[in-house]
Amino acid sequence: MTSVVSVKMRRRQDVVTEGEDAEAVTSNAPVSEDHFFLVPKVVE
Amino acid sequence: MTDLTALTLAEARDALKAKTFSAVELTDAYLAAMEKARVLNAYVTETPDKARDMARASDARIAAGKAGPLEGLPLGIKDLYATKGVHTQACSHILDGFEPTYESTVSANLWADGAVMLGKLNMDEFAMGSSNETSHYGSVVNPWRRNGSDVNLVPGGSSGGSAAAVAAHLCLGATATDTGGSIRQPAAFTGTAGIKPTYGRCSRWGLVAFASSLDQAGPIARDVRDAAILLKSMASVDPKDTTSVDIPVPDYEAAIGKSVKGLRIGIPREYRLDGVPAEIDALWQKGIDILREAGAEIVDISLPHTKYALPAYYIVAPAEASSNLARYDGVRYGLRVPGSDILDMYENTRAAGFGAEVKRRILIGTYVLSAGYYDAYYLRAQKVRTLIKRDFETVYAQGVDAILTPATPSAAFGIGEKADADPVEMYLNDVFTVTVNMAGLPGLAVPAGLSAEGLPLGLQLIGRPFDEETLFTLGSAIEKAVGTFSPKKWW
Repeated sequence: MTSVVSVKMRRRQDVVTEGEDAEAVTSNAPVSEDHFFLVPKVVE
Repeated sequence: MTDLTALTLAEARDALKAKTFSAVELTDAYLAAMEKARVLNAYVTETPDKARDMARASDARIAAGKAGPLEGLPLGIKDLYATKGVHTQACSHILDGFEPTYESTVSANLWADGAVMLGKLNMDEFAMGSSNETSHYGSVVNPWRRNGSDVNLVPGGSSGGSAAAVAAHLCLGATATDTGGSIRQPAAFTGTAGIKPTYGRCSRWGLVAFASSLDQAGPIARDVRDAAILLKSMASVDPKDTTSVDIPVPDYEAAIGKSVKGLRIGIPREYRLDGVPAEIDALWQKGIDILREAGAEIVDISLPHTKYALPAYYIVAPAEASSNLARYDGVRYGLRVPGSDILDMYENTRAAGFGAEVKRRILIGTYVLSAGYYDAYYLRAQKVRTLIKRDFETVYAQGVDAILTPATPSAAFGIGEKADADPVEMYLNDVFTVTVNMAGLPGLAVPAGLSAEGLPLGLQLIGRPFDEETLFTLGSAIEKAVGTFSPKKWW
């Protein structure tokens, strides 16, 4: 269920609204470096 | 000077406007009250510096004649709401240290209207609980106690910190959220007024998600008028939430005190349950009598699929939760527990980060969504949900304006009292409230009296979609007849 009353799902233009802020995105990561999330080695 | 924290939100607003005292004085009174009430464990983080800064800014705006509708009014915010640079963990260990770089739409609306933030309020972990006992930060203590007893009681949940803080006068009002009863049940347990608005009335953007098709933000307040004032500011149409509905927000306060003459109130026979104490039935009858005497027309109605609501809810909500909580893996935010490889790290993090009740619901949700059981459980629960919604649509089409039911099947119980019980016993707390979330309707819990043991009991009013105004009108009629209730201060 997405709505109680019958409404059409809103659409928006396919344009960037927010973004380009890697500092904010990675600021809460337990481990990060140069705006990348660091995890244990995945590919041998 | 009299105790500033004794004023309601409406009274404080009018006194600030009349410059009887300043926003800084009011905020300091609350910060002092919070310090003395730490034994209640209602706040998980106090933000006194931020509060004083905001209060000073409010005083400047009041002096400049630019006061907003909530100017200078100190509020508490449930830990589920993202607050920029401030502790936001939904009271879970797995979100350790998380401080968002953004503000939830609802809290941003409150600050834009001039409100002051006192701190973040305790809650059940990820809003999963009915007693506030699942919080990583420990149980909240209900400011109410049984007559002649010093046993600590639960404030209800999941918005237990919000309800306790409002009842104990540790804020003028609080934000809360409701997925299955998490605003209305704690409001009933603490003698406060709480409204879960229609799904889509308040933006969910910036709320930590539990079950996205059921979650809705709303206020808990000292009385019905205060709840109406807060909802007016919290509600908005938000492009950041696709389920936010584009309907203008009315002036809810104008609905307070209007005549209920001629309104048709439905009394659903399926809400008369076996095993519910006689005093709950008596309270319900009292509510019926009050509204009838005020001129409303009482009609018996039937909501035949009510008994399937709780089982269907405990399929739909955990299913959505298991999906929503998949994001907590120790990579992007919160807790990380190292492991030998990445899978080991995920598993260690989730094992250490989630509490027992959250794990139980993730397991249930993953099970009902698994390939072999999807049709048998999840799909059927969705169909039941449609039938529950249709039950309400049918009675509203017959001219019923609102529905009156009890809010909870009992008064507040003791902390730890249900610790060894079957989890289903705890889930039964939501028996009167989950139907409303399943159908997406607005529901208001209003205090209606005290139990034989001296504890508050509440009634629930259920409305048509986006007709919160009728609920405020009816709620204020009940409040006018029974008055408001405050606990005796012991802390």
